[in-house]
Amino acid sequence: MSDALASPAAALPVPPGRVLARGATVLLVMGLAALPFAVQGSWIYALGITFANAVAVLSVSVLVRYGGEVSIGHGFFAAVGAYTVAIMEQRLGVSLLVSLPVGVALGVVSGIAFAWPSRNISGIYLAVSTMALALALPELINNAASFTGGYQGLYVAEPLVPGLSMSLQRYYVPLAALVLVALALGQFRRSRQGMAMLLVRTHPAAADAFGTPRVWARVAVMGISCGVAALAGCVLAFASSTVSPSGFTLWTSIFFLVGSVVSVYGLSLPRALVGGAFLTLVPQLLSASGAWIPVMYGVALLAVILAGHFLPRLSARIRRQGGTA
Amino acid sequence: MNAVLDSLAFDLFPLVWSGIVTGCLYALGALGLVMIFKCSRVVNFSHGNVAGFAAFLVYGFTSGLLLAVSWGVAVLLAAVFIVAIAFLTYALISPLIQTSDLTATIATLGVGLIVQGATLLLFGADIVSLDLPVPRFATSVLGLRITGYDLTVLSVAVVTIGALFLVIDFTKLGIAFRAISSNAFAAEVCGLNLARVQVFAWSVAAGLGVIGALLIVPTTFLSATTVAAFMLQAFAAAVIGGFASLPGSLIGGILIGILMNLFTFYVSPEYASTFLLVVILAALNVFPNGILAPVRGSRV
Repeated sequence: MSDALASPAAALPVPPGRVLARGATVLLVMGLAALPFAVQGSWIYALGITFANAVAVLSVSVLVRYGGEVSIGHGFFAAVGAYTVAIMEQRLGVSLLVSLPVGVALGVVSGIAFAWPSRNISGIYLAVSTMALALALPELINNAASFTGGYQGLYVAEPLVPGLSMSLQRYYVPLAALVLVALALGQFRRSRQGMAMLLVRTHPAAADAFGTPRVWARVAVMGISCGVAALAGCVLAFASSTVSPSGFTLWTSIFFLVGSVVSVYGLSLPRALVGGAFLTLVPQLLSASGAWIPVMYGVALLAVILAGHFLPRLSARIRRQGGTA
Repeated sequence: MNAVLDSLAFDLFPLVWSGIVTGCLYALGALGLVMIFKCSRVVNFSHGNVAGFAAFLVYGFTSGLLLAVSWGVAVLLAAVFIVAIAFLTYALISPLIQTSDLTATIATLGVGLIVQGATLLLFGADIVSLDLPVPRFATSVLGLRITGYDLTVLSVAVVTIGALFLVIDFTKLGIAFRAISSNAFAAEVCGLNLARVQVFAWSVAAGLGVIGALLIVPTTFLSATTVAAFMLQAFAAAVIGGFASLPGSLIGGILIGILMNLFTFYVSPEYASTFLLVVILAALNVFPNGILAPVRGSRV
């Protein structure tokens, strides 16, 4: 009885399918944690970047799911995180332990700073203004060369835990970040704030009546999403050991969106992994023929979108025909 | 004081003049974006990639890489290809438009990626130069240097945009286009063929993109990314026009052309994209419905 009063979420019975999925996720994480003892070094490196990209994919999915908005500029916020880590290491000599929270905070702040002038801007306008943001990013980085290292970029070499093998750290830190973000997002989905944001998305007028103004929700979603993107940038810089403007072009931002679409905007860990793996492993497999990568991404994007559009209709039609026969 | 006046005469007028010339090209790009948006509520992010592909096709057809034909034939062939691509894009995206325009917009990004990849596959990542067969002359009018290129751009833009406005204002197709852009559902109830008008808009938009791309390339060079980058200016022009007004985007294009020229000359050429971002954000805040929208109170 007291349990039911304590929290509304705890009172809801968890469906058996959810329990199975959760168990599978735990098994997946345990498998990934054991992987460095089984496979080769280059794969460990690629998987570390996969995890970082998966976090970035999550940040775009958060915006789509909770805000109903599309951003083609999340590479900017990832760059905020990545360059915070690199610059703080170069100037102050501190490790990820200090620079990661700073990077995430800067990501949230810059996300809110960008969301504020565009708070009344929705849908296509946000997509266009984020595209301009992504296009402005490389020139901003290149012109602040004394801080950012210009075209050459900067190295990230400071270990998080001194003494431990760096290649292992480059694997486990992104993995930990991915697990933490996925857990936090699961928690957020059940929280009051998460519900309020979903209500704003589906019924803005009702949410307004319940005391959640639309502008607040939009700015808050952007803040959360950009914070996650900055976190992704931080671990991406750590995992890849270098940051440079060529890693944060308009294509980076578009690819994050492609990853989010390919993972069907999923906020769970396995879905994000699919998106991250698509962004990291496809280019590796196609590295011999670089021009096929955009073609592949475009085809995958269209295929997932069209499948998401036609499959439910097709299955509904099949079901209807089965019912009448 | 005299120095200021001198600099005005020597710098400002030429800057404004060349701004108007390039602004017409931005307007051509923006008109295509707005035409597609007006009738199908989709922002076509593949517009720049497709237009760039068209410029490369013309290069390929004239240079002997794919064919070796005269310039006019090459442009015609490229236009056929591009309209076919526009038609295919429309065919892919039209089922999505009814359910979610945002999903359809993301889908255009997919088309853009494919076209970009095709450009890289066919022509590589190298920089090529593509010139226009324009009369080479330059005269000076009131201290202003006017070249054959300027006059070509202006006359092509005026003829194209004039023809477009005539079609939209006076033909049956144009009236159908306006009806669908003001209320698609009501227009369909009245018996208009939505798909036919949308195909018209997508093809015309692609054609405008081709013209814009061919005219902008002589000022820079042609690479797999130049035309796509040029389209950011077109997007900014469309935003200034409110994304749903053809005359607004024309004004927006010319405004962007002049502002960009002034900014790159007087402030810094290195922050051009950042400046555009600021212009877009400012425009969305100051006149969210476009520069030509009547000012009225918002509904609470």
